[in-house]
Amino acid sequence: MKISDTLVGAGFVTAGALIFAGTLGYPPLDDGQPGPSLFPRLVAVLMASFGAVLGAKGFRASDVTEALNWRALHRSTGFVNALFVLAGVLAYILLVERLGFLITGALVIFILMWRLRVRWPRALVIAVVFNALVHLLFAKILRVPLPLGLLWW
Amino acid sequence: MDHFLGALALFGSVKLWLVIVVCSIYGLFVGAVPGLTATMAAALLVPFTFFMDPLSALVAIVTMSAMAIFAGDIPAALVRIPGTPSSAAYTNDSYELTKQGKAELVLGVDLVTSAIGGLMGAVILMLAAPFLAEVALRFTSFEYFWLAALGLSATVMIASESPVKGGLALLVGLFFSTVGVDITLGYPRFTFGSTELLNGVDFIPAMIGLFGVSEVLRNMAGAHLRFRAAAVKAEGIFRGLAETLWRYKVNMGRAGLIGVFIGILPGAGADIAAWIAYAVSRRFSKEPEQYGKGAIEPIVDAGTANNSCLAADWVPALVFGIPGDSITAIVIGILFMKGLRPGPMIFEQQPELVYAVYVSFIIANILMIPFGFLAIKASGIMLKVPRNILMPAILMFCIVGSFAINNSLFDVGLMLAMGILGYFFEANGIPVAPIVLGMVLGPILEQNFMVSMIKTDWDLTQFVTRPGAAILGVLTILIWFVPLYPLLLRRPGGAPASP
Repeated sequence: MKISDTLVGAGFVTAGALIFAGTLGYPPLDDGQPGPSLFPRLVAVLMASFGAVLGAKGFRASDVTEALNWRALHRSTGFVNALFVLAGVLAYILLVERLGFLITGALVIFILMWRLRVRWPRALVIAVVFNALVHLLFAKILRVPLPLGLLWW
Repeated sequence: MDHFLGALALFGSVKLWLVIVVCSIYGLFVGAVPGLTATMAAALLVPFTFFMDPLSALVAIVTMSAMAIFAGDIPAALVRIPGTPSSAAYTNDSYELTKQGKAELVLGVDLVTSAIGGLMGAVILMLAAPFLAEVALRFTSFEYFWLAALGLSATVMIASESPVKGGLALLVGLFFSTVGVDITLGYPRFTFGSTELLNGVDFIPAMIGLFGVSEVLRNMAGAHLRFRAAAVKAEGIFRGLAETLWRYKVNMGRAGLIGVFIGILPGAGADIAAWIAYAVSRRFSKEPEQYGKGAIEPIVDAGTANNSCLAADWVPALVFGIPGDSITAIVIGILFMKGLRPGPMIFEQQPELVYAVYVSFIIANILMIPFGFLAIKASGIMLKVPRNILMPAILMFCIVGSFAINNSLFDVGLMLAMGILGYFFEANGIPVAPIVLGMVLGPILEQNFMVSMIKTDWDLTQFVTRPGAAILGVLTILIWFVPLYPLLLRRPGGAPASP
């Protein structure tokens, strides 16, 4: 997801400003010297300055041609596949406590493999077996309390 | 010497050898598969080290990383894709030689120079670390402040292609390090009312996100494609090797030292060592015009340097608690997780542990010859592993690994956010490694600065009047001028060499 340096620079200037704004309510030390706010403010100022330099460089090199082509984005396989990963992890977070690890994990792996053109019967078998092995390793051997959900194993 | 024998005795355990063998295979596999880096392998190993004793955890990381940095050379030679960034410098030369039918010679040189470089690094680590630890015992908060500043400066000025982008990545890491309860007043910063963030951004899920999830995201584009790898006969890799290595013995010595120097410098890792050794090699070569077109000489240089750097990276990590690269940054995270504080005191309190790190580097680099030989033999199979099955599997390891540290889904969300950040940064040419160094060095920098200020009642002159602090301060400032050095080195009247 490449966007122009001008925009990235502007993003860092904004981030710096927001961080600085976030420190405004921080208390000073007893003797009135800056305490908790000193370091984040320094980071914020430097981040905004570096961002400004990057933005200005990008602007001068007029790299707008490199800017993201929003309309073609949905046709980029890499980008859509990346969205699938995102959706997969989010679905895992939302579902795992209700459905349990064995079902949710296998589901996420299956959908991703299917999206990456593994034929579905093969993907299904690999997803179920691999996920069960992960469960065995983490839940049974390392004793990580992976959510059980609907299945009790 | 007693400690050394004591450490050797620790290696009598069967369990430890099991860790060594498993981690060697893991490292060789991750290194040989393009797109998976040694840092990612280290991040994914962390959840497992959580359940190991400190000794096994350190040995696991040492063997895995040494093997991975060598194995990265295999796809560089066979498919023209570096397996890890540390092999990038000489990928073109390796592949050109393979096209000329010399794949066996390239892989033989890769393997043996990796082992020799690794052993050189291990020896320097054994000699330099205890000596520096003695010096470090006299350090106060002023010196530690400058050391952290030196590490940060090296990351930005030496290890980044664009200092502005490297600096921005570093600042993001420093910002993450400020999240949570502050050191001076215990005031909660940037927690947005969340209890999970009171202890700060958890290092492990952040690592797994930045180096694991972001790699998965990046590999999603062409995951269904297969590599077409050149065939190689592993039995032929030692033919004519001794002669080649003897011809370039000076190169090996020089490159080993370059790697060690870059390694001891906090903040710059094996990939930088390889690039610098490559450049130095070209400068002193009798046939610089061959570089990039299939010369064996730079492969000797850079192949030695990246492995010698890997061991030397542990010097600042163990002695000062300041990471030499992103892998040792993870090691420092593991040590803290185990309740151990890296720094000069660890040499007095846990000498066996430190010596065990030396011994495991020596063992790993000796084992590298037979294991590496087998990896080259199996390279055909490893490069055929379907990545459209591998990537979803790695993602699941990332998810479960992040969860396992605190048994918290919050950490899985944190991992995802960091993964997106890492992916977005890489796509825009912003390096990810400085974020990690910022996260590790941020607290060291802030704590030592605030402690120094409060104990001297805001007397800034102490940062330059103490001799140790002054030396480190001057070194730090010298690093800021690194981009100007090529201008100073340029011969008067002569144009700089064309790229």
